[in-house]
Amino acid sequence: MEYGTLEREIHIDAAPEIVFDVVSSPEHLREWWPDEAEFRPGAGGTGRIGFGDVTRDCRWMQFAVVDAVPPRHFSFRWTHPETEPAVEGNSFLVVFELEAARGGTLLRMTERGFRERGWDEAKVAAEYADHVTGWDFYLPRLVTYAPKVGAGA
Amino acid sequence: MVDDDLWSAVGDPTRRRMVDLLLSHGGGTATSLSEHLPVTRQAIAKHLAVLDRVGLVHATTAGRERQFHVDQAQLARAVAQLADVGAAWDSRLRRIKRLAETIQRGADEKRGTGTGSTPAPG
Repeated sequence: MEYGTLEREIHIDAAPEIVFDVVSSPEHLREWWPDEAEFRPGAGGTGRIGFGDVTRDCRWMQFAVVDAVPPRHFSFRWTHPETEPAVEGNSFLVVFELEAARGGTLLRMTERGFRERGWDEAKVAAEYADHVTGWDFYLPRLVTYAPKVGAGA
Repeated sequence: MVDDDLWSAVGDPTRRRMVDLLLSHGGGTATSLSEHLPVTRQAIAKHLAVLDRVGLVHATTAGRERQFHVDQAQLARAVAQLADVGAAWDSRLRRIKRLAETIQRGADEKRGTGTGSTPAPG
C-alpha cells in the first residue's frame, strides 16, 4: 500500500444525499468527529474544528473545504496554520467520494499528506481527534492492513 | 530519527518483503535475502542500508558477510503510527454509517414507506 495515503471504503444503507449531508455539514461533523465545527460547507469555505471542552481546553484546528459537489464529492484540508491558506504540504487532504450502490451508498475516503508532513504530526492529530487504541503492533497486521478494513464495519 | 525517513523506508514493497523475510527467518544476509527476492544482491544491499539508516534493522558481522536482524521496537513504532491514524478513521467512518442510516430510517418512517428499510432512490 501507499504509505503516504490512507484509504477506506464503507457501504452505508442510506441515500447518497443523506450521506453527503452527514460528511459535509458542520452540525453532523460534530456528531462523528470533532466536538466543535465552524465552517461554511461550500467549496472554498474556511473555518475550524475543535476538540475538547470549548469553555476550557478546546484545541482548534483549521479546516478548509476544497470542493463540494452534492451528493458525489466532498473534500477538505485540515491542520494547516491559522495564518496560512491550506495547500499541499501544510495540511492533510481528506476526500470523500460517494456512489449509489446496492440501494445505499458506497463511501470512499482517502486522507493524504502524511509523507509530506511527517507521521508524528499525523499521529498527534489522530490522537487529539479520537481516543482509539487497540491495534496490535505486529507486522502481519500491517501487511493485511488493507484499504477495506472499514468495509466490514 | 525523522519519521518521514522511517516511512519512506517501509514504503517500498521490496523493503517490506525483506523485513518479512528477516522476521520469519530470524535474520539474514544480503545473499540469503537475494535467494528469495527477484532483485540482485547489490540492490538488496542498498535496501538494507536504507533500513539500517532508519534503525529498522541492525547488522552484526558474523563470518564473511554482515548478518541483519529486524529491530522489533522500531518496527512496532512504525506500525503503530500508521495503525493509529487508520484506526481513527475506521471509527469515524463507523459513526458516519450509523448516523446516516439512522437519518435514512427516520426519513423512511416519516414517508410511511412501511418497510422501513426501503432505500431512497439513488
